[in-house]
Amino acid sequence: MKNFEKQFTDLLINEPITDDRLRTLRTKAFENFTQTGLPTKKWEEWQFTDFRALSEEEYRLAKDFDLPSISGKIPGKISNFYTLIFINGHYQPQLSQIPDTISVITGADYLKSNPNVFSIENETSEWISKSNPFVSLNTSMMNSGLPIRISDNSNIKKPLQIIYLTTDTTDKLMNHPRFDIYIGKNSKITILEHYIGLTNVSYLTNAVSKFNLANNSQLSHIRLQEEDGASHHIGFTSYNIEADSLLQSSFITNGALLCRNDIKINFTAQGSHAQINGLSVTKDDQHHDKHIIVNHSNSECQSDQLFKFVLSDDASGVFNGKVVVGEDTKSTNANQSNKNLVLSPSAVMNANPQLEIYAEDVKCSHGSTTGQIDTEALFYLRSRGLSHDEANRLILNGFVSDILEKINDEEIKLYIDDAVSKKIKNML
Amino acid sequence: MLEIKNLHAGVEGKGILDGLSLSVKPGELHAIMGRNGSGKSTLANIITGRENYEITSGELRFNGKDLADMTPEDRALDGIFMSFQYPVVIPGVNNTYFLRAALNAQLKHLGKEEINAADFMRLIREKLKLVNMDEKYLSRAVNDGFSGGEKKRNEILQMLTLEPKLSILDETDSGLDIDALKIVAKGVNEYRNKDRSFIAITHYQRLLEYMQPDKVHILIDGKIVKSGKMDLAMEIEEKGYSWLEK
Repeated sequence: MKNFEKQFTDLLINEPITDDRLRTLRTKAFENFTQTGLPTKKWEEWQFTDFRALSEEEYRLAKDFDLPSISGKIPGKISNFYTLIFINGHYQPQLSQIPDTISVITGADYLKSNPNVFSIENETSEWISKSNPFVSLNTSMMNSGLPIRISDNSNIKKPLQIIYLTTDTTDKLMNHPRFDIYIGKNSKITILEHYIGLTNVSYLTNAVSKFNLANNSQLSHIRLQEEDGASHHIGFTSYNIEADSLLQSSFITNGALLCRNDIKINFTAQGSHAQINGLSVTKDDQHHDKHIIVNHSNSECQSDQLFKFVLSDDASGVFNGKVVVGEDTKSTNANQSNKNLVLSPSAVMNANPQLEIYAEDVKCSHGSTTGQIDTEALFYLRSRGLSHDEANRLILNGFVSDILEKINDEEIKLYIDDAVSKKIKNML
Repeated sequence: MLEIKNLHAGVEGKGILDGLSLSVKPGELHAIMGRNGSGKSTLANIITGRENYEITSGELRFNGKDLADMTPEDRALDGIFMSFQYPVVIPGVNNTYFLRAALNAQLKHLGKEEINAADFMRLIREKLKLVNMDEKYLSRAVNDGFSGGEKKRNEILQMLTLEPKLSILDETDSGLDIDALKIVAKGVNEYRNKDRSFIAITHYQRLLEYMQPDKVHILIDGKIVKSGKMDLAMEIEEKGYSWLEK
C-alpha cells in the first residue's frame, strides 16, 4: 500500500492542474482505496484470487520517457481496421486512424462536459466503489485511455481496434486506462479492445471500460487479453444498455499471470438483448477470474451467457456469474452456462453460477459443469489413427469452437482462433 | 492376418477372455456371436487397444506384429479399424475436418502425400453415396445430432475412407431398422475383397444374412466353444445358446 501512496503523491505533484474538481475526485477515490485496501480472501466476491503480489511488486506509473520508439508493424494490429493505439499507456494519435463518425476527446474536455462525474457523494457513483477497490484505484490514478463517442445513426462497417500495448519496458510499470465509450442511438459498431504485452518485466494494467448503448444501437465488443505472462491484468467493464439494443460481447483471456475481469450489465430500459461470452485458456501458474453480474432491472430483456475455461498445469480459474431479475419486471429471459475442462490434477476451477429472481414472469436457466477430457472421445479419435496429442488438440479446439463461432467478424475470429489454437498446442 | 492364441485378457483386473484362439485370414469375414457379457466387446477392445484393457497371457498378432504394447493409433495406422457399437459425439469437431485429418494420418504413415481439400471432397462424395448419406452430415460435428442409424452409417463411411485391412464391426446391427441394416451391409459388401478381413460381432444372425460370413464362432464365458458356417448362426437363432453351455 505504501508504494501506491507514493505513486499517488507523485502523480499529484507532476500533473498539471487542469481542474480542481479532478484533483478532488482523485483524492476522494484514493482515500476510498486506502480505506478498503486490496481485496483479501475474506471478501466473498474476491476470495479465490490472491492480490498480494500487487502490493509486493512496487509498480511505478508509466511516464513520458517510458515510450519506446516503434517502427514497423504494430503487434496484433489487424490490417484495414480503424485503430486507436496506446503504447505503454500513451495514446499514439499519429498511429491511429478513425472515421468522422468516431470522435475522441481528451480526458479534461470530457470531464468539463460531464460535470456529473464529480458528484462523487452520490452513492451510485461508478467512479468510486467500495466493493471494487480497483475501480477506485483507477479513478485515483487514471492516466490513460480515452472517451470515445460513436455518432448517432452511424453504421460503422469496419471494426475499431483499440490496441493497448505494453512493450520494451525496463521498470515495473502500471497503467490505469479509462475508456468511456458512447454508442449513439441507431448506431452499429464492432469494437476489439485488445490488450497485448511483449516484455518480460512484470507490469500492471488496471483498466476500466464503460460502455453506453443508446436506444436501438448494436455493439459487438470483443475484449481480448493477451498480456505478457509476467503481468497482472485487472479489468472492469460495464455496459448500460438503453432500449431495443443488442450487445454481443466476448471476453477472451489468454495471457497474464493473474487476470481478474468484472463484467457488469445493466438494462436501463426495455427490449434489449445481451449475449455475453467468455473463454479463458490457461497454463503454468496462470490464474483467471471472471465475475459477471447481469441486472435485469427492466422488462422484456434477454441475456445469454456462455463462459468456458480450459485449465492445464497448475492453472486456476474462477467463474462467478450472477443474474438478478428485479421486482415488477416482466418477460425476462436469462440464460447462463459455464463449462470447464480441467486437464491436469493440479489445475483448479471454482465455479459459482447464481440466480436472484424477484419477479414472476421469468424464464431462466443456469448450469455449470467442470470435467476432464472425455476418454471415450479420445479413444475414438486415436482409433482412427490420430496421435494422442492430435486427438487432444481436436477435442480442445472443438470445446472452444462455440465461443469463437459467436464472434461475428471473420477477421477477428480468425485472429483469435489462431491465438487460442497456438496456446492449446503449447498445452499438450 | 489376425492370429489370436490362447488369449487371457480382461479389464481393470477382471478376467474376461479365458483362453480364446482365433485366426482370421485375408479376405475372410468372421462372425462372433454370443450373449451379453460373453466377452465379444472385450475382444474388440483388446484388438483395438482401448485403455484399461489388458492381456494377461497368450498371443495377439496382426500381420505377424505383436499388438500388446501398441497404441490405438499405431494399430489404426497399421490397418485395424473398429466400427463402434456406440459412436462417440465430439462436440465442435467438424466431421469433414476429422475425416480428412484421419485420412492424412494414414497417408503420412504410408509415406504418401497428404490429400488436399478439393480431392478429399471428391473422394468423400463418392463414399457418401455408397452409404446413402447426405452431404449435410459433413458439415456437422462428429456424430453430433446423428440418429442411431446415421451414426452407424458414419462409421461405415469412415471405414470406406480409411481403407483398413481388418475391420471389426462391433454390433453394427444394433439399433438399426431393416433399411439401414441393408445400407450398412451393402457398404461392407462393396468393400470386401480378397485382401480385406472382417470380424462382425453380433447377437443375431439377421446382419449375417446380408453379409454371408466365412466362419461363425460362438463365444461363451470368454472362450470360443463352437465354430462353423452360416448354418451355425441359423441354429443359434432357433435354439439360443444354452445347448452349447456345459
